Amino acid sequence: MSESTMPPPDRRPGPAERLREAVSNGRLTAALILLPPALVLFTLFVILPLGESGWYAFYDWNGYGTPEDFVGLQNFEQMFGHSVFSVAVGNTVKILVISLVVQMPLALLLALLVYRQTPTNAVFRLIFFVPYIMAEVAAGLIWSFVFDGNYGVTASIATTLGIDKFFILADRDLAFYAIMVVIVWKYFGFHMMIYIAALQGVPDDQIEAARIEGASRTQIVRHVQIPYIRPAIAVSAFFAIIGALQVFDIIIPLTNGGPSNQTHTIVTYLYEFGLTRLRIGFGSAVGVVLFIVAVLVAVFYQRLFMRKAAS
Amino acid sequence: MAEVRLENVAKAFGSLTVIPDLSLHVPDKSFTVLVGPSGCGKSTLLRLIAGLERPTRGTVRIGGEDVTTKEPSKRGISMVFQSYALYPHMSVARNIDFGLRITGVSKEEREARVAEAARILALEDHLDRKPSELSGGQRQRVAIGRSIVRNPKVFLFDEPLSNLDAALRTQMRVELAELHHSIDSTMIYVTHDQVEAMTLADQIVVMNKGRVEQIGSPMDLYDRPASVFVAGFIGSPKMNLISGKRFGNPEAETVGVRPEDMELTEGQGYEATARVVETLGSDTIAHVRVDELGDLTVRLPGHMRLRDGERLRVTPNPDRLHYFDADDRRMETARA
Ligand SMILES: Nc1ncnc2c1ncn2[C@@H]1O[C@H](COP(=O)(O)OP(=O)(O)O)[C@@H](O)[C@H]1O
Ligand SMILES: [Mg+2]
Repeated sequence: MSESTMPPPDRRPGPAERLREAVSNGRLTAALILLPPALVLFTLFVILPLGESGWYAFYDWNGYGTPEDFVGLQNFEQMFGHSVFSVAVGNTVKILVISLVVQMPLALLLALLVYRQTPTNAVFRLIFFVPYIMAEVAAGLIWSFVFDGNYGVTASIATTLGIDKFFILADRDLAFYAIMVVIVWKYFGFHMMIYIAALQGVPDDQIEAARIEGASRTQIVRHVQIPYIRPAIAVSAFFAIIGALQVFDIIIPLTNGGPSNQTHTIVTYLYEFGLTRLRIGFGSAVGVVLFIVAVLVAVFYQRLFMRKAAS
Repeated sequence: MAEVRLENVAKAFGSLTVIPDLSLHVPDKSFTVLVGPSGCGKSTLLRLIAGLERPTRGTVRIGGEDVTTKEPSKRGISMVFQSYALYPHMSVARNIDFGLRITGVSKEEREARVAEAARILALEDHLDRKPSELSGGQRQRVAIGRSIVRNPKVFLFDEPLSNLDAALRTQMRVELAELHHSIDSTMIYVTHDQVEAMTLADQIVVMNKGRVEQIGSPMDLYDRPASVFVAGFIGSPKMNLISGKRFGNPEAETVGVRPEDMELTEGQGYEATARVVETLGSDTIAHVRVDELGDLTVRLPGHMRLRDGERLRVTPNPDRLHYFDADDRRMETARA
């Protein structure tokens, strides 16, 4: 009653065989013609600047003329010894955690509410997506108004509640939480869209089969829909992690890293202590560290999650 | 006791009326096949029975109980989908006992039922595999296994074999028939394939445009099709339907004769030319152009030698003619 349908074992062609095949089917010619422009551009605009900043990182250099003052690992030593750098790394980690444990579940919840194709859902999807398409600086300005203790929304709240005016963005302890609220608000729409696209790909009859078997709405979400969109969740988490490492332009209009350097991220730290203070060598060192972390994260993440999710 | 009754059921999607008004009785323990062309509303009807759709009007009863507004899981039914609808991330065993797990059936009970289903369906060696590691036929069996373990009163099947290749389809057809004998529940089976309908059913419901054209046993439908539609739908190759020639019945608008009820005759009968001759081994199907009647199909014994283009004479068996009136309904009495 059972039929055996084992596929024949996969035989990988050797390199010579593959080259011969590539020559004969014209793929080699295509590569020889099409690859050089891309390689030249990539080298010119990615590899060279990267190599250059790796080189600057070992100099004390203000950006003018040729770097001459070789300082070895001093820039790196300074950076790792700088308390503000530790705060910036801590803040970046906080963003990462919030993205994974608050933003992504929130995005998934909203995606589950609006993924079905109906006119009302289309309106809600658009509304939820607006923060993401808004320019970071504009979003920052809007929220700095919201948080303004004199004239903003928080001012009205204070008046209504009859409490003292409060200035969240000027509060050493609270400012970064306010920023994280803005970050969640700004980027959840992106993750929501990824989930919506994935949820629309879940076959209806899998959901119907679960209904027939007596699964409740939440059981369907948990046992059918979420497992089905796991690859999409892996991708969205990847973007969340890489995005957390890169948060910059939303901080500038809100706090510019203050008060007393409590709200820096790695990138605003680089900007503040490398670029605006004309310490290009130091900034390059921060950039090199950030780059290495990003590459390591990307490689390990791909290894650990994406491949498994894809299979 | 699990007969299924539909009473004056109607279903519309917005302004599109798919089922205008349909009543149907599916006897307890029967194997009832809903058959009809694609888009005629078979799946919709099955989904109404399952509770995946609510009727616009009318009543659905299962085992005498009105289930019209009940949830699918409360109807005592199970359904096998055309796509199988297996969960790709679960093993075969977990796919099969999914419903039992989420409704809190004990582990021992679950294991016993899965083992029983796996035995019936010869899936014992595959319980730890993922659906993607199975062949089409095995996936189909997993989907059936998932139905069996719930001990439903009524099994629903929506074109379960249409994703399988021809050989496997024949094999699964036999297995489904065996399954019906061994578990002895009511089964309602949707297909657009009249061969499946003929071989599996003890009751066939022929549907057309959301209406029931005819209900009966396979041989009823074959021997006494109630309408031109059923005559053309049931039987392969199709019945020849001839209009404009009455064959002795002055009221007949259309006369039907099955390809196997035609003979080659010497010296008498209608003159014809063989257009295409298909040699199947067991029989030979000749598509002929009859000078007086147009194109007809004739089924001949397997060893009949005929060349394309050959001139011949054909005669329909006068006892096996089907007469239909101007409304395409069968005419019973006035046979000349
Ligand atoms: N959910 C739905 N919304 C709108 N139209 C539908 C829906 N389901 C089915 N239909 C329509 O109902 C008709 C019958 O469909 P269906 O029952 O699937 O036919 P069958 O299974 O006989 O091929 C088709 O015209 C189809 O387009
Ligand atoms: Mg259908």
